[in-house]
Amino acid sequence: MTRSTKRVVRDAMLSVFWLWFGVRLLNDWFGGVLVPAGQPFFDPQPVSEAAVALHDAGAPASWLGDLLESLAFAMTYLPDLAAGAWLTVVLTVLATILGLAIAVPLAAARVYGNVTHWIALAFIELIRGTPLLAQLFVLYFALPLSRWFAAVPYVGTGIVPAQAVWVAVIGFTINSAAYQAEYIRGSIEGIDPGQLTAARSIGLSRIQGIRFVVLPQALRFAIPSWTNELVYLTKYSSLAAFITVGELFHAARSAAYANYRFLDLFLLAAVVYLALVLSATTTMEWVRRRVAIPGVGGSGGGRMSTD
Amino acid sequence: MTEELLDVDDVHQSYGEEKVLEGISFEMDRQDVKVLVGPSGSGKSTMLRCINRLTDIDDGDISLDGESIYDLDENDLRRQVGMVFQDFNLFAHLTALENVTLGLKRVRGMGGKAAVEKAAWQLEAVGLREQANSYPAELSGGQKQRVGIARALAMDPKLMLFDEPTSALDPELIGEVLEVMRELAEEGMTMLVVTHEMGFARQAATDVLFLEDGKLVEQGPPDQLFEQPENERTEAFLGRLTKLHGGQ
Repeated sequence: MTRSTKRVVRDAMLSVFWLWFGVRLLNDWFGGVLVPAGQPFFDPQPVSEAAVALHDAGAPASWLGDLLESLAFAMTYLPDLAAGAWLTVVLTVLATILGLAIAVPLAAARVYGNVTHWIALAFIELIRGTPLLAQLFVLYFALPLSRWFAAVPYVGTGIVPAQAVWVAVIGFTINSAAYQAEYIRGSIEGIDPGQLTAARSIGLSRIQGIRFVVLPQALRFAIPSWTNELVYLTKYSSLAAFITVGELFHAARSAAYANYRFLDLFLLAAVVYLALVLSATTTMEWVRRRVAIPGVGGSGGGRMSTD
Repeated sequence: MTEELLDVDDVHQSYGEEKVLEGISFEMDRQDVKVLVGPSGSGKSTMLRCINRLTDIDDGDISLDGESIYDLDENDLRRQVGMVFQDFNLFAHLTALENVTLGLKRVRGMGGKAAVEKAAWQLEAVGLREQANSYPAELSGGQKQRVGIARALAMDPKLMLFDEPTSALDPELIGEVLEVMRELAEEGMTMLVVTHEMGFARQAATDVLFLEDGKLVEQGPPDQLFEQPENERTEAFLGRLTKLHGGQ
């Protein structure tokens, strides 16, 4: 397959996924516009019956039967996973963006700070050195965070996620900030020191030089590692299940217990994770192209270099 | 206004144990063009970096316009003293025009439109009107260095420091940069230039300063230094340079 065909196939699959996902969420949020909330859009019963019939017909028709059976299974249980997948998206996107906002000053402090260097270093090593699950437990069970969030109006009503989700957002934000700070530190250190010298030589202050010259370049160089962080976080967000957040893994596990179909449901959840991760990498690739500048941030600038 | 612009008075500087400058003194009047020459490691670049305080001195003093540079705010000093680097150091993520407008907006507080107008004019002055929207990676070395000069000039400096501005260039690109520098000298800009381009020194310099081992060995008008140097080390060094880097 050529590169562009691959891209077309990928985009087609992601379009189908997001069309389903979007319609599903809207339907469920607004109390069942098309079908009752949480119910399949199409009745899986006929598909299931067709699968059984084909099975009885023997090979090779039975292979098609297996396929239809999987389809019927997915049609039945995907609605259960949709709400969970939504929370996975919320956790991942919020934690990555909020984490970035903290990571940038943290990374700058590590590279350029004196006292702040040590504070940033201590924070980063503490967070990277302890298990994410332990961090979530501390936030959820040891601190009164969830009580505070519960007191905020609208939390847990309508489409506003419940307090445990917000505690998880804080946990993942803190954790992600530490990792992202290290990625960004790496790219700051990769910028030629002459850039900051030149900034200072025209009279920009140190802070201005970092803000207007170093960071715009360093952040572009950090995009590949940032993509990686997004991919990791999509899957690590499943740990929120252990502090009662009903994200994708939690939803799959609940459905599995209810129906005793563990392997099937976890495989189905894996497919949804795959779709989410592919969406993340595709989006980041788009971002990378959007902000690309010739000679900054590796290959694929918007224009060809003449040098 | 006095004629004297820069006074370097008995400057000492060292990196740790290693002494780099050992008692350098010289003055520059307005519109002077002085060329610093000397073997590598003689302290030429360090001397320049002391003048805009990219490097601090250990002892002695440097005055700009009669005022010690250590009494000035360092960012204000740097606005008044332009610097051009051997490796250009253009801001890689900004177009040629944006390289020039950044300082105008953030240091001089100019509005967007005024900054763009001034920057465009400045780029035109170095012959780069067509390249205003090109990124550094899209420019040749000579073009990059001319943007570097425009970036420094846009701040309306009193003094321009050039740190081996043509050393990183392919030979065929050196001419265009030297041409811009020559024009600048003719317009009356005060310039302190570290270079091995002896042709430029002969044509444009009011004085040539020969530095060796952190000491100012000899200084004088180019004719005198090239034809009748007082010091035999000056003679030997300049003789070698002229052979290598030509009379013109």
